[in-house]
Amino acid sequence: MSIALRIVLPLYRAAAWLYPPRFRRRYAGQIQLALRDAMADQSLPPASLASTLLKDLAQSLWKENLDMLKETASRPLLLFNALMLAALATVLALAFYAIPQQVLRQGANDPQLELAGNAALRLQAGAPAAQVIATNPADRVNMAESLSPFLIAFDEQGHVTASAAQLNGATPAPPPGVFDYARTHSEERLTWQPQPGVRLATVIRHLPSGGFVLSARNMREIEAREAQMGQMARFLWLAMLAIVALGTFLFGWLRPSPARVHA
Amino acid sequence: MSLEAPLTAPVFATLLSLSQGEKHGYAIMKDARQPEGGGIAMGPGTLYGTLNRLMEQGLVVETGLSDDQRRRYYQLTESGHAALTLELDRLRAVVRANAHLGLATQGGPA
Repeated sequence: MSIALRIVLPLYRAAAWLYPPRFRRRYAGQIQLALRDAMADQSLPPASLASTLLKDLAQSLWKENLDMLKETASRPLLLFNALMLAALATVLALAFYAIPQQVLRQGANDPQLELAGNAALRLQAGAPAAQVIATNPADRVNMAESLSPFLIAFDEQGHVTASAAQLNGATPAPPPGVFDYARTHSEERLTWQPQPGVRLATVIRHLPSGGFVLSARNMREIEAREAQMGQMARFLWLAMLAIVALGTFLFGWLRPSPARVHA
Repeated sequence: MSLEAPLTAPVFATLLSLSQGEKHGYAIMKDARQPEGGGIAMGPGTLYGTLNRLMEQGLVVETGLSDDQRRRYYQLTESGHAALTLELDRLRAVVRANAHLGLATQGGPA
């Protein structure tokens, strides 16, 4: 026996296990017999037989498993189960992203709630805005860079009266609709984007005596964590879909359609 | 019968081999290697996959066992003969339609 055949034959025999079980049960004996005949055939050069067997393995394994997969996909109950599991996996992955995302986003407001609440109490008690809010220009928080929470006070018309933060050297104000909402609901929690790329977790409170106090902080870190969660959720989703596909494939592989078993 | 023309090389070679009478797997593989049988090197996996599909389509049937319990023989059904005839007619028509190109064949004039 040639060296090529010595390598290829055991490989070919072992790879027979990779055929779908139904095909293997039906034809394994005949395949072995044909192989024995081919090896006994003096007119067939061993190198040519080895090459034929290798090509045969690559082509027929792929084809028989694909055929089985097509048949599996055409079984309504199995397909329905796979689709339901895929839908469930999608819902789970979405929940895996959405629930922690909401917890992170809501949690991002906590320091601002405390700051705005305390400042509102002091302002309401009559303390001057400049005393409640550190307004020294050198100490002002850069909204685009710093992760520190900060305070800004506004009058009833929405004009800045004191500010502990700046963006490009000035203190921006939220859109008028935000003040309107806070005026009627006493408080508003929102994501404020004073310029593209700068997103702030913001709490704004209306003072009963008139005016507003706003507390906010840059969401850069929170959004980075949210992006990480999104990536993990996508990976989880793909992994669950892969498991569903693999499980369906294995089920089809091990339990062929009864109609074809008796064909 | 649900074969689409042109037939694949293994299907054509298998039908051609069985058109000469009932045969077992290796005999079909051997016929397929001959130039007049299609000239293709077909391995056992490809052969039995092809036979399996041809049997599902009713073009080939098993005729029974032989001396060796594992060896089975196969033969064409009427549908199998019809499919082979259609394919041969199609090939003849292709050759006829292109005869004016003057492409000489090794076996003689087209």
